[in-house]
Amino acid sequence: MLQRFSARGLRVLFLATSVAVGSAASATATETAVLPNSSRIVSIGGAITEIIFALGDGGKLVARDSTSIYPEAALELPDVGYMRQLSPEGVLSVNPTGILALQGSGPREAVDVLKKTDVPYVEIEEDWDRAGIVARILAVGMAIGAPDRAEMLASEVERKLSEVVRLTSAIQEKKRVLFVLSTQGGKIQAAGANTAANGIIELAGATNAIEGVDGYKQLADEAVIEANPDFILMMTRVGEHGASDDELFANPAIAATTAGAEKHLIKMDGAYLLGFGPRTVDAVKELSERLYGDRISD
Amino acid sequence: MIVANNVSVSLGRKLILDGVDFEARPGTLCAIVGPNGSGKTTLMRALSGDVAYRGRITIAGRDIEALKPWEAAAMRAVLPQHAALAFPFTVHEVVKLGLTGGRSGVSAAEQRNLPDRALARVDLDGFAGRFYQELSGGEQQRVQLARVLCQIWEPVLEGAPRYLLLDEPVSSLDIKHQIIIMDIARAFAQQGGGVIAILHDLNLTAMYADNVIVMNGGVVAASGSPSEVLTDTLMKRVFECPLRVGALPAQGGPFVLPQSISGPPA
Amino acid sequence: MVSDTHSISGSVMRGRSHGDRSPIARLVILLLALGVVVTAALSLTAGAADASAYAVLRHWVFGGSAAGPLSLRDQVIIQDIRLPRILMGILVGSGLAISGAVLQGLFRNPLADPGLVGVSAGAGLGAVSIIVLGGTSLAPVVAVLGIYALPLFAFIGSLIVTLILYRVATRQGRTSIATMLLAGIALSALAMALTGVLVFVADDRQLRDLTFWQLGSLAGATWPKVAASSPIILLGIVAAPFMARGLNALALGEATAAHLGVPVQRLKHVTIVMVSAVVGACVAISGGIGFVGIVVPHLLRLFIGPDNRYLLPASALLGAIMLMAADAVSRTIVAPAELPIGIVTAAVGAPFFLWILLRRRGVIDL
Repeated sequence: MLQRFSARGLRVLFLATSVAVGSAASATATETAVLPNSSRIVSIGGAITEIIFALGDGGKLVARDSTSIYPEAALELPDVGYMRQLSPEGVLSVNPTGILALQGSGPREAVDVLKKTDVPYVEIEEDWDRAGIVARILAVGMAIGAPDRAEMLASEVERKLSEVVRLTSAIQEKKRVLFVLSTQGGKIQAAGANTAANGIIELAGATNAIEGVDGYKQLADEAVIEANPDFILMMTRVGEHGASDDELFANPAIAATTAGAEKHLIKMDGAYLLGFGPRTVDAVKELSERLYGDRISD
Repeated sequence: MIVANNVSVSLGRKLILDGVDFEARPGTLCAIVGPNGSGKTTLMRALSGDVAYRGRITIAGRDIEALKPWEAAAMRAVLPQHAALAFPFTVHEVVKLGLTGGRSGVSAAEQRNLPDRALARVDLDGFAGRFYQELSGGEQQRVQLARVLCQIWEPVLEGAPRYLLLDEPVSSLDIKHQIIIMDIARAFAQQGGGVIAILHDLNLTAMYADNVIVMNGGVVAASGSPSEVLTDTLMKRVFECPLRVGALPAQGGPFVLPQSISGPPA
Repeated sequence: MVSDTHSISGSVMRGRSHGDRSPIARLVILLLALGVVVTAALSLTAGAADASAYAVLRHWVFGGSAAGPLSLRDQVIIQDIRLPRILMGILVGSGLAISGAVLQGLFRNPLADPGLVGVSAGAGLGAVSIIVLGGTSLAPVVAVLGIYALPLFAFIGSLIVTLILYRVATRQGRTSIATMLLAGIALSALAMALTGVLVFVADDRQLRDLTFWQLGSLAGATWPKVAASSPIILLGIVAAPFMARGLNALALGEATAAHLGVPVQRLKHVTIVMVSAVVGACVAISGGIGFVGIVVPHLLRLFIGPDNRYLLPASALLGAIMLMAADAVSRTIVAPAELPIGIVTAAVGAPFFLWILLRRRGVIDL
């Protein structure tokens, strides 16, 4: 039936429908590998783990990395450490038949060693946009031998995403959002372009208040004031209490912005907000609703 | 022979030594005396090659500035006034440091026992296993002398006399050990080596020195044999205090008797 | 004197009372050498995975066909993960420990440690320059030097810090302990500030390399890294014993060392270059692994005394053992993940350092 060529077919279909959203091409650049044996998989990257569970194949996982904290069942798997600080022997010690890792897993040396073994190592690209999510679901599905289910999931996610994006892209007066990664020592660490945070802000129909900055950077106070965000977006942290919100608004630079004056702070779970996995649709929806209120839900 | 010719040393703008001429012959013990700040130690440091100087210093006719460190170490050994020691070395290990770069002059087999022999000479038998830092000041001074002796154990090596440069070798010793150490120095000279020693005790100087250099204000105030130099007038002028110099009936050598400055002598 | 035909235990007993600790020192060195072999063998068999080192060894000796099938996984684990790590542990451990001992001899102070006095921070600055600017302004350098660019720049960084430190802390042959430690803090701060500037301009990928590397780890051990650093570190280890007698004499002060026939200026230059090169090479491949340089020599001085002729080789051996052991802990304690080794050495080393301070408080009081 469709199954043999469907992944590619869907991608072409997807390309046609997503011109408005932009850089879909990069997501389809690499060929997707298929694991010959997908019975014991190590998943490195929260989004991959979420996709595998969403496909109903959580049972195939034998280990995960420390960013894989959703769904709860993932937490019962052995943790091979932070995705950028892998121990190659640790990964191999769970006797995997395949390793699925997000692009950017590391260190490079560890990845090089892992690639030398006969355990297939599949790198999943990381693009923080609509096309990236869909491509990733398909790639993971292909790799673990569930292309049909992946297609169903992908098309569902794509359908929901188009729906949300249709609404959010219609917004005329886009809110300016500043994603604050941390406020350690009173210094604002914020997200510039080419970050997951930037991607989610744009999907939600807002604009990143920071321009001309790449990656996560510490901002000068004046740059924060200049950016003048309408909203501050942050990740919820475990064991956090209200005091840190006050602390944020006590920061003189934040206080001088619209967001500071109106105490506009949105906090969302990090993996949910920045994972760019199956749940991202909901994250986009939630974020845009919290930004624009009922104007978004037609 | 060690010869200093018109040697001057400045520290910063201050002239510490001003045109010093000086000679130390092998087979003699040469004492340098003088009040504090007269330039004795600076002269010793110039002779040891520790400070920059103008003029010329030679040892066995060779300019000391042209000598490699290990060449100089085979010709003379230096006992500093104060020797700090980093790290917990044992007495044996400190003495053995004397064998670092010089030439003791004894056979390789004998050299193994040299630290023990040197310690015995300075009356520190049985101290080899002690930690240097746990010793008293006087004991430390004798350990350092034992180390210096190891460096040039034979006063004459291959026909060339060698020199001991001692900066206040007995300053923290009791009377018995002052005599033991001065006896070692004299024996070294009698065997053909040369000794230059800074001394504060004028009577020890009178007893042991063959030649005395009196330093005052960075210049040589007088030099000669003890009986030539240790006179009432010169000592009073140099040390700026009343001293009476008498003659010992037995040997005919001088002795020096300090007097109180505040009150008249009884 | 008693002849050498006595049994080892006899001469050890004799050594104590005669203050000559060289028989004990030789025995300790022999035991440490054995310890390196044993620790390396144990490390080869220890790890998160149950790879059989024996099977891999058999494979090497008898070849693939005779020894039966060997899983590629086991081969990679032994050959590409554990073996380079063990070698790197030996290189870095011995390099840091011997550098610490030499630096302590040079400064006449048991608290001089490459990590504490800023030498490692200087090496870090050099290494970070290559990591961050290697693709842009320093690209020609990397093109010419290849894998040696990183250790070489680390060396330049540590050399500059060591030279400044020596100029600041040593006056007329006397090293002020207080000045040395304070200058070390200032130089560390300066090197870290400059490193911070580089970190700021680094892109995301470089940042990942940096954070990983700054923690200090042997996890990045690869054969090319072992190849790039081993000539420098081995050269330092081989050169160190030639400095031993001079460093011993230096314990009596620079002037006395010179009187004893030591070419002091040349000794200082050679030791500074050697320490900088070795620390640079170590930092370049393993990041900031602290406290090895201070703990190992200090521990050894308690047993074999401060004689550098024995202290230097013994430090190299014990440094290798300690780092291999620390790495084995870091590899297995949170398996299948891994604890950065810098955390392990600091957790052991920092309390030890405080203990030294307590014991020697009188000496360190400013």
